[in-house]
Amino acid sequence: MTANPTDTPLRTQEEIAARVKALESVLIEKGVVTTKAVDRLVEVYENEVGPQLGAKVVAKAWTDPEFKARLLADASAACRELGIGGLQGEEMVVVENTDTVQHVIVCTLCSCYPWPVLPPNWYKAPPFRARIVREPRKVLAEDFGYPLPDSVEIRVWDSSSELRYWVLPQRPAGSEHLSEEQLAELVTRDSMIGVGAPKPVVTEAAGA
Amino acid sequence: MSEGVRTDATELGDARRRIEKLVCDMPGADKPFSEPWEVRAFAMAVAAYHEGHYEWSEFQLSLIDSIRSWEKGDGGEPWSYYLHWLEALETTLASSGALSDSLALDERTRQVLSTPRNANHHEARREPVAISPATR
Repeated sequence: MTANPTDTPLRTQEEIAARVKALESVLIEKGVVTTKAVDRLVEVYENEVGPQLGAKVVAKAWTDPEFKARLLADASAACRELGIGGLQGEEMVVVENTDTVQHVIVCTLCSCYPWPVLPPNWYKAPPFRARIVREPRKVLAEDFGYPLPDSVEIRVWDSSSELRYWVLPQRPAGSEHLSEEQLAELVTRDSMIGVGAPKPVVTEAAGA
Repeated sequence: MSEGVRTDATELGDARRRIEKLVCDMPGADKPFSEPWEVRAFAMAVAAYHEGHYEWSEFQLSLIDSIRSWEKGDGGEPWSYYLHWLEALETTLASSGALSDSLALDERTRQVLSTPRNANHHEARREPVAISPATR
């Protein structure tokens, strides 16, 4: 960049990210933009873009048992195999849903989330953070329309700036014939946070 | 984009259409953002525009200027579309008067950089913070 407004070359992603954060805080103080407006736009866009990366990882884990084993052992390394990652320092941990255990992710203090695979938005909201820890079963049923049978244990995990969890949901029934690409389309952001299921397989008989 | 034909009449639907219109010419439209700051910078520019701080064409011209400067330059900085986006945003806001003090921004940036990543946060927790056991 030849016309850098600071004289300090913008070098690392960390430095650039800091400048964006600083710019946003200045603009908010000056009343140029509001956090709400920026969040809203980010939400619209990240829902379109971000979870696709996580979905790709999940679909690969569903189809490749060896990859899945590596993912559960070291999610950061397994994601790097797919060219996903690039943030500084934080470790990603994947927790796997089973017939008897459902995992839910929250950041109880702020809004930490595994950016490369899973953009945030509502789940950083304070009411969600408090309630999901206190009464996870109720929140899933009432807030997310995702009631779980009493035979399923729910484990809530706290993401932090250093340790970021996300969920490997169960592969949907009847998806045996689908390709990895088709499987990835079934993976939703909510399913990777643990507050929803992947999309069901739509069969022709069901009127696709 | 998969939702391009959506026609919902909600506020969110409107926002989505406006954004799609704004970004339809962006490079790499199938995967526009590769870093968290990129979507943040993107959203800030759109939000400031919606708040009436500049005309979108002013921002576009500034973006074009920034990219042109890079093309003429010595290639010291690697190509990053959103770095130009950020520069254009700062330039446009400065000329509209909305961002008059770039020194304050420099200082704020240094503050952000000097704040530890885990400031105001707890240590990493390797056990669940809550468990709702199965009851049957």
